[in-house]
Amino acid sequence: MAGFFVQWVWLIPFFPLLGGIIAAVGASRFRFNAAIPVAVGIGASFLFSLGAWASAGPETTIVVSKWLAAGSFQVPIELRVDGLSTLMLSMVTFVSTLVVIFASGYMAGDPSYPRFFAFIGLFVFSMTGLVLSNNFLLTYAFWEGVGVCSYLLIGFWYARKSAADAAMKAFLVNRLGDIGFAIAIFWLWTIVPNHDLSYTNVLADETLRNFPDSARIGIPLLLFWAATAKSAQLPLYVWLPDAMEGPTPVSALIHAATMVTAGVYLIARSTAMIALAPGVQVLICVVGCATALLAAAIALTQNDLKRVMAYSTVSQLGYMFMALGAGVGNLAQLAVVASIFHLFTHAFFKALLFLASGSVMHSMGDVIDMRRFGGLRRRLPHTCWTFAIGGLALAGIFPMAGFFSKDEILLALAAAPEAAETMGLSWGWVYGLVYWVAILTAFMTAFYTGRAFFMTFWGPEKLPSPDDPEAMEGEGHAAEGDEPGHGHHHVGEESPPIMTIPLMILAGCAVLAGVVFGPTGWIEHHLQRMFGFEGLGHAEHQFGWGTPVLGLVVGLAGIGLSYLLYGEPNPAPARIAAAVRPLYLASLNKFYVDEIYQWTVMKLLWVSAAVLRFLDVEFVERAIVGIATAPRAIGRNALAVYQNGLIQFYAAATAASVAILLWLLLFS
Amino acid sequence: MTDLLTIDYLRDYLLVGAALFALGMLGFLSRRNLIVMFLSAEMMLQGTALSLVALSRYHGNWNGQIFTIVILTVAASEAAIALALIMVLYNRRSSLDITLWRELREEAAPDVVPAIEEAAAAELIDATAGPETYPKLTPAGLEPEHPIQPWTERRR
Repeated sequence: MAGFFVQWVWLIPFFPLLGGIIAAVGASRFRFNAAIPVAVGIGASFLFSLGAWASAGPETTIVVSKWLAAGSFQVPIELRVDGLSTLMLSMVTFVSTLVVIFASGYMAGDPSYPRFFAFIGLFVFSMTGLVLSNNFLLTYAFWEGVGVCSYLLIGFWYARKSAADAAMKAFLVNRLGDIGFAIAIFWLWTIVPNHDLSYTNVLADETLRNFPDSARIGIPLLLFWAATAKSAQLPLYVWLPDAMEGPTPVSALIHAATMVTAGVYLIARSTAMIALAPGVQVLICVVGCATALLAAAIALTQNDLKRVMAYSTVSQLGYMFMALGAGVGNLAQLAVVASIFHLFTHAFFKALLFLASGSVMHSMGDVIDMRRFGGLRRRLPHTCWTFAIGGLALAGIFPMAGFFSKDEILLALAAAPEAAETMGLSWGWVYGLVYWVAILTAFMTAFYTGRAFFMTFWGPEKLPSPDDPEAMEGEGHAAEGDEPGHGHHHVGEESPPIMTIPLMILAGCAVLAGVVFGPTGWIEHHLQRMFGFEGLGHAEHQFGWGTPVLGLVVGLAGIGLSYLLYGEPNPAPARIAAAVRPLYLASLNKFYVDEIYQWTVMKLLWVSAAVLRFLDVEFVERAIVGIATAPRAIGRNALAVYQNGLIQFYAAATAASVAILLWLLLFS
Repeated sequence: MTDLLTIDYLRDYLLVGAALFALGMLGFLSRRNLIVMFLSAEMMLQGTALSLVALSRYHGNWNGQIFTIVILTVAASEAAIALALIMVLYNRRSSLDITLWRELREEAAPDVVPAIEEAAAAELIDATAGPETYPKLTPAGLEPEHPIQPWTERRR
């Protein structure tokens, strides 16, 4: 039976694609619900993923078909069924199934309903292909595929300018990262034996030993650059918060649970290579840490519920990179496990939080500004308690999933300075610093999560009304009435069961995923079957009580503080904001990162575009137009006389030409 | 079978064929009457066909014969269409002079035949004036009723 699921593992990407195609082609013609084929396809993929989970092995690969062949350079479509890919597959297909079910309610009434589900099917196809492929080039192809799906879905309501702009921004920023990936692949191609880009070959010990020194640093750097774009890390994270212009299920699926983890996946997959460059590892750790802190600081003051969640996603992805960066020396295994574990649990509770936000948004008639509603715990009971569970998991409160995975990361960070010293590295103290920043970020995470929860569900009941002082134009997501939003139902009612049941299932996962997979060692055991995992540095799992207790205490403190400030209407937050007004404004305006990019990178691009345009118009175009006038001039001045309209002239010319030709053929 | 068509006979045939072709070409290049040009072109075609038949007979296979049958068929179709077009052209200008039809020349092209320009500048025949004239046939039996033709249709 084990061989069966390996043999047919290509069906896992295929089913969602088929469902998407059926939804795209048939749904409007035959009038069935477009969500059904997609949900069934992804559900079938999930079942196959479970089968593949059971039959995963570190060396299990299967060649599905040929793909590219140029001489000796061969890229087959080869899929790898190991611990890491099956873990990702199961998570992706499971969350996708629930999101599709949720979206079938959320998107009801949208005129482009089938298009939405067709894109979702395409996305799941790309994402499962991305994690399954056993070749850098194939991974790159699917990497672009998820990027395209992200673009299409962010810009789903393309008639709205902000959505179209956000889609464009996401796509362009991702292109910037993809360049790094592409160059890394070119570079690898030149140095690996046989030009074989499969993971089996590239990540083999022998290949890695023979890497030149420049490549040993450069390729991990380029791969990390690619990951910063896809996984929204510091220089290139700016697209993710804007991506919230897309429909909320998309935010939950693509921009929280699955696609943005592709960068983490790539780095984890290449850990064997990256572990050879401790300098890059510390960079990854510092970038992850800075991103986590910055995003958490921005999330503290955002008023848009979805944006809080978006920055929280950026922040949590930062945690994952911190963990990956901490894998120095004999900590590599622990780091990969911690990072992937956090990725795994984060997918559940962040998808849950996003979907719950979507449920709130649905009930509030597309209003997402937290100042405009409040005290919804009686009106939206199911959304309230599922959101609470997701929030507790995000804050890292025992015994929710986030507690265990965050704890793993903090443990890896705590152990990193010592490991770095044994390696003879001089920057072990950096990891110590990162550890404390991570603790601080955990506190901030708990605080902003609690703030979002209490602002939305606690306090006196308040429903959005158009004469709110905050209902400014351009504020919030969909305040205007006549735009292509999803279907509305009565404002202030709980969402239908088709939306709340996925929330409850995800809430169950957010509670259980940590307990079941973490302390039991299941996830570690499963990742033992990841390709190359055995070769990574291994240390005894040293458990200390200090870190988990500290994490729990800061989490509780954050939530407690947020309850004090936001549990009841309270002038304190406003007073604090007034006291540190510059800081407050900076955080509210996202530390002006967008504006800084606007004035540096974008200005530079505009200037270079203007210069290039000048060169194009003045030189290239002039030259081409000049060349093009020559035939016209010749025709008009020299050849026009022969076009005299006399048939007999033409016939004579033809006869003479034929005669000359015959002469040449016969007598020369 | 003794081959009657020796190389000497073949030469005669080819000479006649070449003469037909050359005469046809001369006629086509020198005459301005559309019908005569058309006949000349047919003559060129027949010269070719004659050569093909002769060569086919000389080589003792049927290829040239078959080709000639095809040529005859095509020539017949072509004649039907060309004569119909010539009729239409005649009705437009009451003349079969080929130099009257020079609309497709370049404006910049100099006049090769100055006299042509005068003819071309002449007014088109006034469509409504006078009764129609048709080429007279030798009377033989009853003259059939003329059906309504496309050009008469156009004139009404």
